[in-house]
Amino acid sequence: MAQALSNEKRRRLAGGTVENRSSGLAGLIEETLPKAIIRDTTIVEQHIREGQFQRSLALVTGFSSLLGGLEVAYEHYRGSYSQRIMYTPVVLSGLLALVGIWGAFNRRVARRLLPVVSGVMGLDAVVGFIFHVRGIARKPGGWRIPVFNLIMGPPVLAPLLLAISGFLGMVTAFLRQEEDLGLDRQTTQSYGSSNAKPNSSRLTPWGVSHEALTLEQDIREGYFQRGMALAAALSALCSGFEALYSHYKNNYKYKIQWTPIVLTPLLFAAGIGTIWSRKIAHTLLPIISVLAILNGAVGAFFHLRGILRRPGGAKHPIYNILYGAPILAPLLFAASGFMGLLASLLRRRD
Amino acid sequence: MKEPLLGSFKAKPEPGEHRLGPIQEIHVPMRKYSQDEEVDFCIVGVGSAGGVLLQRLARAGFRVVGLEAGPFWNTERDWVSDEAGSYKLYWNDLRITGGKNPLALGANNSGHGVGGGSVHWAGFTPRFHPSDFRVCSRDGVGVDWPISYWDLKPYYALLEKEMPVAGPAYYPWGDPHGYTYGPHPTAGVSNVLVNGCTRLGIGVSIGGPVAINSGSHADRPHCIYRGFCIQGCKVGAKQSTLVSHVPDAINYGAEIRDNCMVSRIEMGPQGRVTGVTYYDPDKKEARQKARVVIVCGYAIETPRLLLNSACPGWEQGLANSSGTVGKYLMAQAGNVVMGRFDELIRMYKGPPANSLTEEFYETDPKHDFARGFAVQTVGPLPIAFAKQMMVAKGAWGWGLRRVMMDYNHWAPLGVLGEILPWEDNTVTLAEEKDQFGLPVARVTFNLHDNDRKLINFATKKVEDILIAAGAREVVQEQRYAHLVGACRMGSDPKTSVVDGFGQSHDIPNLFVCDGSILPTQGSANPGLTIQALAARTADYLISERENILEGRPFSRISPPVRHDLSPEGTSGRGVPRLKGTALKVK
Repeated sequence: MAQALSNEKRRRLAGGTVENRSSGLAGLIEETLPKAIIRDTTIVEQHIREGQFQRSLALVTGFSSLLGGLEVAYEHYRGSYSQRIMYTPVVLSGLLALVGIWGAFNRRVARRLLPVVSGVMGLDAVVGFIFHVRGIARKPGGWRIPVFNLIMGPPVLAPLLLAISGFLGMVTAFLRQEEDLGLDRQTTQSYGSSNAKPNSSRLTPWGVSHEALTLEQDIREGYFQRGMALAAALSALCSGFEALYSHYKNNYKYKIQWTPIVLTPLLFAAGIGTIWSRKIAHTLLPIISVLAILNGAVGAFFHLRGILRRPGGAKHPIYNILYGAPILAPLLFAASGFMGLLASLLRRRD
Repeated sequence: MKEPLLGSFKAKPEPGEHRLGPIQEIHVPMRKYSQDEEVDFCIVGVGSAGGVLLQRLARAGFRVVGLEAGPFWNTERDWVSDEAGSYKLYWNDLRITGGKNPLALGANNSGHGVGGGSVHWAGFTPRFHPSDFRVCSRDGVGVDWPISYWDLKPYYALLEKEMPVAGPAYYPWGDPHGYTYGPHPTAGVSNVLVNGCTRLGIGVSIGGPVAINSGSHADRPHCIYRGFCIQGCKVGAKQSTLVSHVPDAINYGAEIRDNCMVSRIEMGPQGRVTGVTYYDPDKKEARQKARVVIVCGYAIETPRLLLNSACPGWEQGLANSSGTVGKYLMAQAGNVVMGRFDELIRMYKGPPANSLTEEFYETDPKHDFARGFAVQTVGPLPIAFAKQMMVAKGAWGWGLRRVMMDYNHWAPLGVLGEILPWEDNTVTLAEEKDQFGLPVARVTFNLHDNDRKLINFATKKVEDILIAAGAREVVQEQRYAHLVGACRMGSDPKTSVVDGFGQSHDIPNLFVCDGSILPTQGSANPGLTIQALAARTADYLISERENILEGRPFSRISPPVRHDLSPEGTSGRGVPRLKGTALKVK
């Protein structure tokens, strides 16, 4: 594993020079934490930088899909599965969760099956979005009473949130596995001559433009900070918008209900800003992302407390989970933060 | 007036278009049968049972005419979300009430217009328990049904899908089962019931079972929780046969003649009925010939029509050789117990029918009475609440005004107690005449010892629940709900009017199918059972097609359940359920 570390990293591990201590915060962390943890962290960071985290991201895809699937299962139960198409996101989420976890152990699954299921999931999310827009249109007054019907109708952006796990699955397919070092050198050298990539998934059919191949290769090597940051920004927007009107339903009874609303534009701005600024990618984006993850955890706690405080509390668990605060929704917000953090650790070509 | 952003909501209705809610319409012109033509079935009263029968028989290809004394509602035009403005949904013609405990007739025990009582029911749809069909053998009171729960169970499941019924995934009482549509969110009164029951360790079913859409169902939108269920649901989320079955019936060629009051059933030679005589909307007498007449007039009008149809050979009234037509009338004890809370309850919010407990449904040897009761959420609007407070607290004048200003702090819970069938609770003909010159019904009702004990125990139990939930003051009003019996079914022609299919013991082509054929009533709201019985009778009639068309005697054999007769869009929706999850406890 040691040879996986770049020269710069090795120097930093060995104590490093003053100019290599990129920021005060990083320096402080390095001084306070035990060496072993720092080394492991650096290895993880390195893997991400190099695009060698297929196993981990496959697991993350599977897990986020599981969360999203549970959320959509009970949200659609509230809607009584009154249309057949309402079963599809539940089935697909379950499938994506399985394939994601399987993909963590099997390269072929991660590269061949995962992108297919992820693609279908993404498609289903778009179809769901259209149906939710139509659902709002069918409510009395339809889009002529947009605010009320957005709040009381089907959650318009929620299907797009499910697309996020599809997106993660898609990215996973193009990554390298954590221990892929030797192979990886080879592919890097043979960059441009596509037939030298065993078992690889492809964005494009054989023989298409150089740009598409470059993008594919960039993902493989971890050069997709911009794309991941954009995805984090969009995910935060969807999740934050959900929080905005869901908390509005509860009249912002608790001040803490404002926190995801405040964090959303910040995370969105940091994600978008990353497209132009390397500096934002290394400062604002990780800070806001960590805050979003913490906020999601705190939110999950409060939502759980809210469920237990409902009439009947833990004695009617299914009903109270169904109609209590959505217990998994804050975790989906945390997932946006996770993506932002991931983005900040990736590389970019300037 | 300022135009809405994207134009007005809906263009003016086209001629011939019949609106049944914001997005539901009937486009097809209704088929018209000539009065001289002998139709296969004439259904008297298109309500809960009549609507289901009409739809199934039409779908099976029979020529069917439904005669309804009230109007064929155009819900967008005719209904209002207003308590006082909804009086026309009830049977407001003259009726005489009497006995030691006279029933209030009108609002919660009659219907008028297509859809009948299902138009203004609150929508609670619990099934009867298996024990309800064996009351006499189990508890030594009342009478046994000629059919068992297991005969009716497939029809319960079918109707729950057709309505559709929203409720919990697992309903523990009686024969445990789950519901097709997800449960509803709770409002203030439900929260009181759930809190009270949970604190006392009493099981409670939250958010159903109610025949109100919790998700949109084809062209019927989901519930928007505005609380005007019993004023006729203008949204179309609450089931009435008007919105669930009648549109399908009309698509399949059934005819509904509204504002037609049937005055008598015509008896022909050979002991068979030949049709009905009725007053058309212009109050002119008209006739409709039919091979089979099905009376679906509910517990007062059905016996009244049979008694009014008395003719030579049937001096006691049609199909009344047993003398039981009009006897064994039952109402359920519907005492409303109200608790005052410091916090706001806002009982008008959301559907009044939401949560219930059937923990006390069965006979308990520890009690000094047979059978039991259910506790349900209710939600009287201000006029009903004022009446209840007047009775419960004797509030009047300034005092009533002060109580009314407190409306939002009160939580009402309803008892639904089983009152047993007694011979002296009757529907008979009175001296008085209605606008058509027909003798009106006289309803006599007396409580008996078992009923009184049950009501006392039940109201005390509900008081306990309210106090456990935090009520500071508890009052109650004695009241009755629902009305069944008076033409009861049974296997013995000497003690009952019809058999298990609703077929008259005396006259083979005369059927009765509505709440009046129930021999006992359980403590479940009868709406679902009435519609399930209608679906079963329809299956029977369809299986007897040859015998009906050729005038032969019926086989009286239970037919297999027909799943292909459900209205459009019934299957392929709803919460997926594993078959056999409901434990079969025989």
